[in-house]
Amino acid sequence: DDFPQSRIAVTVCLVGRDRACDDGARPSDCLEYAIHYSLYAVKMAMFVSLRCVSANFSSVLPLFSRTIRAPSVRLSWKACTPRTLSTASQLSAALKFTDKHEWVRVEGGVGTVGISNFAQEALGDVVYCGLPEVGTKLEQMEEFGALESVKAASELYSPLTGEVTEINQELADNPGLVNKSCYENGWLIKMTIDNPAEVDALMDEAAYEKFIKSIDSE
Amino acid sequence: MTALKAAVSVVNLGRIPYGRALEVQQRFVRQHLDSLFQFPNILLLCEHEPVYTIGIRQAMYSAEEENRLKNLGAEFYRTNRGGLITFHGPGQLVCYPILNLGCFKKSVRWYVCELERTVINLCHRFGIKASTSPDTGVWVGDNKICAIGINCRMYVTSHGLALNCNTDMRWFENIVPCGIHGKGVTSLSQELQREVPVTEAVPPLLEAFAEQFNCRLSFEDLHINKENPVTEK
Repeated sequence: DDFPQSRIAVTVCLVGRDRACDDGARPSDCLEYAIHYSLYAVKMAMFVSLRCVSANFSSVLPLFSRTIRAPSVRLSWKACTPRTLSTASQLSAALKFTDKHEWVRVEGGVGTVGISNFAQEALGDVVYCGLPEVGTKLEQMEEFGALESVKAASELYSPLTGEVTEINQELADNPGLVNKSCYENGWLIKMTIDNPAEVDALMDEAAYEKFIKSIDSE
Repeated sequence: MTALKAAVSVVNLGRIPYGRALEVQQRFVRQHLDSLFQFPNILLLCEHEPVYTIGIRQAMYSAEEENRLKNLGAEFYRTNRGGLITFHGPGQLVCYPILNLGCFKKSVRWYVCELERTVINLCHRFGIKASTSPDTGVWVGDNKICAIGINCRMYVTSHGLALNCNTDMRWFENIVPCGIHGKGVTSLSQELQREVPVTEAVPPLLEAFAEQFNCRLSFEDLHINKENPVTEK
């Protein structure tokens, strides 16, 4: 059938609330995670829910016809336990980098994207940020906007595949935040993460430092 | 380590419609990207018929404004370069370097600065004292003699600079050039009080460019047909 995978994952968890999950997690844990689960973190849900229960879920589907917008708790595919969850959250808060000098910070299944200090220095004072609309779907490496500085428009490339959920409105009046606070207040967009493996393949901070050293010595 | 000089091929497109020049540029940019940066660096030289162009800050110029300018007899283009509104027309030397900054320095700020220095170098050769200011471009006092606006996509540059040689400066009166109020525009002819055509400015511009970017210029024929799409060399 052609149910979106995310719907299947969420409803199976809900139906399973009267039964114990295979791995010993309490049904209430499953339910809580199901409710908070973001519809876009498909792979995580699939693993969790399949272990929870097997059920006839078609009658439960209408409950999830609305998009769940609550910030999600990132689920570990291994088990529905809070302990695994918090470890995953800590790991995902670190910055990952692309070779186009963009960074991604993953928190709760949402990726925040910005440009690195190396990039903002190479650009000069940013005077304008051309960003996509919320809801825009992006493929990894796809152009999603441009930053203007010193009469130069430089294209931005999506570090991941996903959908834009938020853009930094502060940049409209204060584009210089990209220079002054490139890792914090100068963030550009937030997006969903359709393919978590893409995050894993990006450079961590140490690898990125090495990368920019190699550029400087060219 | 002695750096080898980067090679740049100069292509003189002559008088060419702005839209066609855009297509030529985009094709060269595409070839850089598709060939994984093995494509030669190119410096396009040309002159346009009257045209007003704007950059990525498109919301600042309404359809009404566009029509007003078109009614004056000029074309109007919305582009992907940085910078605000400017004018191109006969008597103005337009230069579009399509460079892979990987051959030079991977910094847009550096590149724009070098373009400014190239033009200051050229003005010096004419005995004109030009300078930069907090507003990008090349100035003689409070008057801009050369506008700059570029695009950079994966370190491949397009658009470039526009130097007023013997441009009819009245076209600039219809706009606030580059969105900068209270400043004016000038040309080589105005500064030297004599007619300085585009052809006179080309050789010193090329010399200044080669000097500033520390590159070797060559003049290859890339078979650019102004009417039809660019063919492979």
